[in-house]
Amino acid sequence: MTNGVIEISALVKDHVSPFLQKRVRVLDGLTLTVQQGQTFGLLGPNGAGKTTTIKLSLGLLKPTAGEVKVLDCPAGSKTALSRIGFLPENPYFYSYLTGWEFLDFFGQLFNLSTNQRKERAKELLEMVSLTDAAHKPIHKFSKGMLQRLGIAQCLINEPDVLFLDEPNSGLDPIGRKDIRNILLKLKQAGKTIFLNSHLLPDVNELCDQIGVLHKGKLIAGGKVASICPSGNYKDLEQFFFDVISSCDKQSQPKISSSS
Amino acid sequence: MHSTLTAIALNTFRETIRDRILYAFVLFAFLVTLLGLVLGSISVGQDIRILEDLGLFIISTIGGIIAVFVGTSLVYKEIDKRTIYLIFTKPISRWQFVVGKFLGLALCILSITFLMGVFLLGIIALFTTSTHHFAAMIASIGFIYLELLFVIALATFFSTFATPLMSVLFTIGLWLIAHVGDSLLLFGKISTNKAITIFCQIIYYALPDLAQLTRLRGHIMAHQLISTESILYLSIYIVGYLVILLTLATFITEQREFQ
Repeated sequence: MTNGVIEISALVKDHVSPFLQKRVRVLDGLTLTVQQGQTFGLLGPNGAGKTTTIKLSLGLLKPTAGEVKVLDCPAGSKTALSRIGFLPENPYFYSYLTGWEFLDFFGQLFNLSTNQRKERAKELLEMVSLTDAAHKPIHKFSKGMLQRLGIAQCLINEPDVLFLDEPNSGLDPIGRKDIRNILLKLKQAGKTIFLNSHLLPDVNELCDQIGVLHKGKLIAGGKVASICPSGNYKDLEQFFFDVISSCDKQSQPKISSSS
Repeated sequence: MHSTLTAIALNTFRETIRDRILYAFVLFAFLVTLLGLVLGSISVGQDIRILEDLGLFIISTIGGIIAVFVGTSLVYKEIDKRTIYLIFTKPISRWQFVVGKFLGLALCILSITFLMGVFLLGIIALFTTSTHHFAAMIASIGFIYLELLFVIALATFFSTFATPLMSVLFTIGLWLIAHVGDSLLLFGKISTNKAITIFCQIIYYALPDLAQLTRLRGHIMAHQLISTESILYLSIYIVGYLVILLTLATFITEQREFQ
């Protein structure tokens, strides 16, 4: 079997509160592999540990135990980061910059030449339909425009792997459709995509494989085609509810009949 | 490496220079400098001296206010607004981020100091064309800028781990103490309490003796000859503190996790 593009093994992450030193386990022995060209959707309720998984994969957090490798390099290494694109959840951008300047700035962080940056920014703004707003300050952008600019920024280095944290959250149906179409294009271009999302219709349409994370543990997973053979996202929704409720039932303390 | 550092520095420069409050400060500085004309006209033969002293005081104060208030939120704002996620998921080193931020603000303060300096020299030119006056003024402004670099480094250091309010208090506090370091050392020497003597010595050696810069500026303005060695020594002395503060700021940033 080939090595995965993203390999997470026995990953544990504890958050320790600064004053009381109280330890909370956010991720508990997570193991998963994402193959090249695959679009992987990590699902889970709020607080399940999805964003923490992405942050550990990017080196923004350090694991308590276990390991994350991206493109055969340790998470957060410069070699890995030079081939990764990342869109955080509800991203905030430098509002004093224009869309063009923003992309140019991130191009410089990848050491692209002036000509490369010009070409790439033009190409990406066109791709996310922001050419007309290229020289508008970012603080005048709508939420949908910001999200599209965020996607453009994460593609500036022509990455092989994309980490997208809730790319469709807070968008209206038109904005969601725009983002979905962009992501479908990227998927067709053969990019490996790791996606966190609550929006099951989008996951159903975009992902090849999913994993369900609950209370820091991977409790289920599989190919979207086998979970939703009809192609209807309702099957995925039912699957999601079933695995979460069965996990909750198992973890409930047993009450004896005599009490 | 060079391109990344320049990109972060220029982005910080853009951020600060596009803030309109900055122009209000510069306008205020111009008005106070003009007030020197009025004060000078009611003095007896001290018109240039008053203009020079007031002008240098306002350059130092306005530069200091901007250095403290912008510098203390420099790194903190990136963390608070989560733009740091976009930066640290690119192949850059944490020292490039810290030093880039410092250089960006240093460039901004340089531009403002230059503007205020040119305005002051322009007004002085109405009264005298003596090259001695201009040379002394330019040298004094240079030493004010050297001190401001220390304030920026101090503010940048605190902004890596403290809230802006705490950073402002720490920065202003240490800046003022650094001005009275030699008096503290003297106080420690005459004190009979050993603990106070040691405490005063620690404070004196931990902070640069900025009173030396003030004394040097006084000598320059009194048209006394200053040796190149003492200028060189003071410059290296301050740069040494800049290196220490930025190294500490980088170390703290490297240890940090971004939740």
